[in-house]
Amino acid sequence: MTPSCDDPFHCVTCSDEGIAMRVVAVDEDRALALCAAPDGARSSIEVALVGPVAPGDALLVHAGTALARLEDAAT
Amino acid sequence: MRFVDEFRDPDLGRVVAGEILASVEPGRHYKVMEVCGGHTHSIYKYGVDDLLPANVELVHGPGCPVCVIPMGRVDDGIALAHEPGVIFTCFGDMMRVPGSRGSLLEAKAAGADVRMVYSPLDALRIAKANPDREVVFYAIGFETTAPSTALTLMRAKAEGVPNFSVMCNHVTIVPPLRALLESPDLRLDGFIGPGHVCTVVGARPLRFIPAQYGKPVVVAGFEPLDILQAIHMILVQLAEGRCEVENQYTRVVPVNGNRRALEVMAEVFELRPHFEWRGLGFISQSGLKLSPAYAELDAELRFGVPGVRVADPKACQCGEVLKGVIKPWECKVFGTACTPERPIGTCMVSSEGACAAYYNFGRFAREREVV
Repeated sequence: MTPSCDDPFHCVTCSDEGIAMRVVAVDEDRALALCAAPDGARSSIEVALVGPVAPGDALLVHAGTALARLEDAAT
Repeated sequence: MRFVDEFRDPDLGRVVAGEILASVEPGRHYKVMEVCGGHTHSIYKYGVDDLLPANVELVHGPGCPVCVIPMGRVDDGIALAHEPGVIFTCFGDMMRVPGSRGSLLEAKAAGADVRMVYSPLDALRIAKANPDREVVFYAIGFETTAPSTALTLMRAKAEGVPNFSVMCNHVTIVPPLRALLESPDLRLDGFIGPGHVCTVVGARPLRFIPAQYGKPVVVAGFEPLDILQAIHMILVQLAEGRCEVENQYTRVVPVNGNRRALEVMAEVFELRPHFEWRGLGFISQSGLKLSPAYAELDAELRFGVPGVRVADPKACQCGEVLKGVIKPWECKVFGTACTPERPIGTCMVSSEGACAAYYNFGRFAREREVV
């Protein structure tokens, strides 16, 4: 018996996978942002580690927390 | 999608594969370890190893956070899950990891309230929604997930959520790498560095590898072109007689990491004197526990856990796989007694585990090797 998983080769519940997500809306008071994954799935993401974010920003997310901004990283 | 599609371009992949071929010395065998389980998964998913010359071998390292959890810690988690009134939360992969008497999934079937979450923040939400229950989050992972647990603990403390606690199994990447490098049966030429861990800690903590052990390191991203380019950079270093830490993943990894993430980890966690790793044994100062300021949120102190040490199953060779001494399919129980559906060892549980990745994607490559 295994947990349900849309991808037979990669369990979507392993939260140690880094995911590129796009900010949809920001809750500044709680340091949270509603973000969309490439497949369209939305979730509430902790953004305290990457500073102020705005809708449209691309973030690298691990376990529900943004670790880096993708656009800024090369600089 | 930007940052993804251009790093999966097959034509560019063939170009880099040609550069790799031009960089190797005929007659020399190269062994390169990818430290991170995410790299292992990508290598098999995209067939990266099929593009490499026969004398460039990839060795899978200890960087899967699920695979390195020893049976005793699973048993401790199951004991907590059976505490009256407890809602036990963890990542999905963790639910299938076998302890000595079953997994968390089997504990759930036996009546324990075990719930899968995507983040520690989800576990905190469950605690707020169930004030009459104790909610425990079973935290695992390297420096990629530790900041997330730290922020959630800070939030729980600030908001005063008394029924939330964390059983901390976070680990750090440098001590097991040092242990591997000290291992007498290991022969490696270079390392593909863990891209997302370095997003947090920066590339600097890996400098001991070239400085003390004379091995090149290239921090890499997780798309197939990232990995191919990193292998090429390692081979070029070897050909030129250089030995240093280079950063292939500059679009994500800053040299100094994420300072704020390091600050929150320093506030919430402290190093354990030692921590047991599956297949690698006890490694000094390799695990994290909650600092005294957060002791009230430490599930191990709140409930008391058995703390029993359980030896790995004799048939299982996860230890040798994690050290890169054998390939997954060389294990005696690979694909027979041990499968992703009924795993014996943890390397077969997580999608980032070398055995599961090889089982799902690597069988064609194995046939080629056998021939």
